[in-house]
Amino acid sequence: MHGYHGRLLRIDLTARCAADEPIPPEVLRAYVGGVGLATYLLNESCPPGADPLGPANPLVFAASSFVGTGITTAAKLAVASRSPQTGMIGDSLSSSYLAISLKRTGHDALVLHGAADAPTLLVVDGGRVRFEPADELLGLDPDATAAAVRARVGADFRVAAIGLAGERGVRYASIVNDGRLAGRTGGGAVMGAKKLKAIAVRGDVPTSVAQPIALAAAARELAARSLGAATAKYREVGTAANVVFFDRLGILPTRNFATGTFEGAEAIGGETLLAERGADRHACAACTVGCEHHYRRRDGGAGATVRLEYETLFALGSLCGVDDPDVVLRAAARCDELGMDAISTGATIAWAMECRERGVVLGAGEEPPAFGDGAGLLRAVEAIGMREGIGRLLAEGTRRAAELVGGGSEAWAMHVKGLEMPGYDPRALPTLALGLAVAARGACHNRTTAYEVDLSDRLERDATPLARARAAAASEDRAALMDSLTVCKFLRGCFDDFEAETARLYELVTGLPTSAADLRAAGHRIVELKRLFNQRQGWTRADDTLPPRLRAEIPDLDAMIDAYYAVRGWNEDGTVGTPV
Amino acid sequence: MCIVTLHVELFGVPRLLVGQRHLTIQSNGPTLAEAARALAAAHPELLGKVLEPGTGWPLEGYTFAVETRFTRDPATPLRPDTSLLLVSSQAGG
Repeated sequence: MHGYHGRLLRIDLTARCAADEPIPPEVLRAYVGGVGLATYLLNESCPPGADPLGPANPLVFAASSFVGTGITTAAKLAVASRSPQTGMIGDSLSSSYLAISLKRTGHDALVLHGAADAPTLLVVDGGRVRFEPADELLGLDPDATAAAVRARVGADFRVAAIGLAGERGVRYASIVNDGRLAGRTGGGAVMGAKKLKAIAVRGDVPTSVAQPIALAAAARELAARSLGAATAKYREVGTAANVVFFDRLGILPTRNFATGTFEGAEAIGGETLLAERGADRHACAACTVGCEHHYRRRDGGAGATVRLEYETLFALGSLCGVDDPDVVLRAAARCDELGMDAISTGATIAWAMECRERGVVLGAGEEPPAFGDGAGLLRAVEAIGMREGIGRLLAEGTRRAAELVGGGSEAWAMHVKGLEMPGYDPRALPTLALGLAVAARGACHNRTTAYEVDLSDRLERDATPLARARAAAASEDRAALMDSLTVCKFLRGCFDDFEAETARLYELVTGLPTSAADLRAAGHRIVELKRLFNQRQGWTRADDTLPPRLRAEIPDLDAMIDAYYAVRGWNEDGTVGTPV
Repeated sequence: MCIVTLHVELFGVPRLLVGQRHLTIQSNGPTLAEAARALAAAHPELLGKVLEPGTGWPLEGYTFAVETRFTRDPATPLRPDTSLLLVSSQAGG
């Protein structure tokens, strides 16, 4: 089969050995690649009840058939494990040259088992694997780690690394590669628990393509479309453009979701940042869009420019009531340096801020900052990454922190299944509300994207629960497919018929006759496998919900969830009967 | 002819192109299609990048919201002093 190598490397960090194994073609076909393949490999490798931070929890890295083929935006890598935040599936996607290097080892995936007994650098050099000591890398930020690793093993290696947050077990630590983050669900904490500071990967095996000339033409055409009006927002302003617009719509989460409007929105909005601080623009590996905008700091701090996305802006800005761009930029840079997810970081600090406002004592020997206290926000970010002072509690994330503190603080712990809420207030986005409530990895806008339905005229405001359930399920299936083909979601406006057009690309890459219906079925299959994984890890219907503050204002939520299960063909309690 | 005064709020690329957050336009009729034509006539810098040169209608990738209700229906009726939002239809973050 073209496009895939049909092999994986299974690596045992405890025994310090590796095995090259085949991946059955029917698995690759059924689960596509990327997140779908990672989900399949996790599901077969992770025993029920495995401690997310224990050696039994595997850490899976998976590429797709599109990686290394020249299809724009497709150089992405999926990471999956049982999440230390949610106890359920933790999957992340990151764009980087590491994805291309992994594929060039002649494998579609790495599956890491066990745990090293000392800080370790894993070197994957083609089909050979070796384990090197990493003591001198401890304490380095991910970029410095990558530089040190490449200086040691060779400049042509690509590196994934964790920062201090991963080393110290912050439950929402990220895995950083080429400056990009597999950010959500705590893969960095899993890697840290395995005493794995970094992975270096190099290879020289090209990806074979069934119809290279036709694919090159199709890839060029898609690349041309990627420079049109449908991506102009991302290219010209960046995702930061959402801030002011969302504020206008009343969906910009502010002060821990107390409201959906923020008086400081213009100050931290994308248009203002671009005009006053815009520095330059970057693209992910093999991407023609180039949505990554960098902004200048004015506080004389190290690192003249900082990458900033909407989700980071909302989480460290409006959600914490902070309107000082320099503070947000410094906090964002520090999250990257420490290697931790900015959404969960900001959301957990916002929870603590509300605790302070309500007089709930955290009992950690240090009072949390107040809403709007920029200096306090920066101290809290630092404390979390170092796991010191108040950071020891906040490094646990909102759900666990609220359980530990009590005092009613669970009521304002803004998470789903333990994953903190993204920057879309679902009280005004009912289809998204459903999507967030039922999503397998918890509150994630990237695994549902149902906000697209709400921010359009596709459904009437008084649409029935069944109509919303159908829209949410379709959105979830499509997101799963995009994450498995590893095509960037920012391209979605470039397709007239996403499934039909990507089926054609898939056929050109793999040589397998593929229809839009085949890919739609694959998306559904992947969503369902995630749910099956969660069921094995103890999921119940009670987990498909929203935080009390939001749920109280979405009266149709239970009816929408019932309808969603029906649309999926699942049992009334949300369990999967006969998988597709 | 019915002249309708409308308030237009710009976000993202449209705001960068025009250099203003808010505009007031005079539309020659009470529908969204007529408002789009009036906006295009008043701000040709939007043509080809945000609005179609012929009709003034938003290109794929952009949309109008009337107050906060999204619509791509040219026949949408507009009352005087309505706020019209011109935004990207892509809300990914």
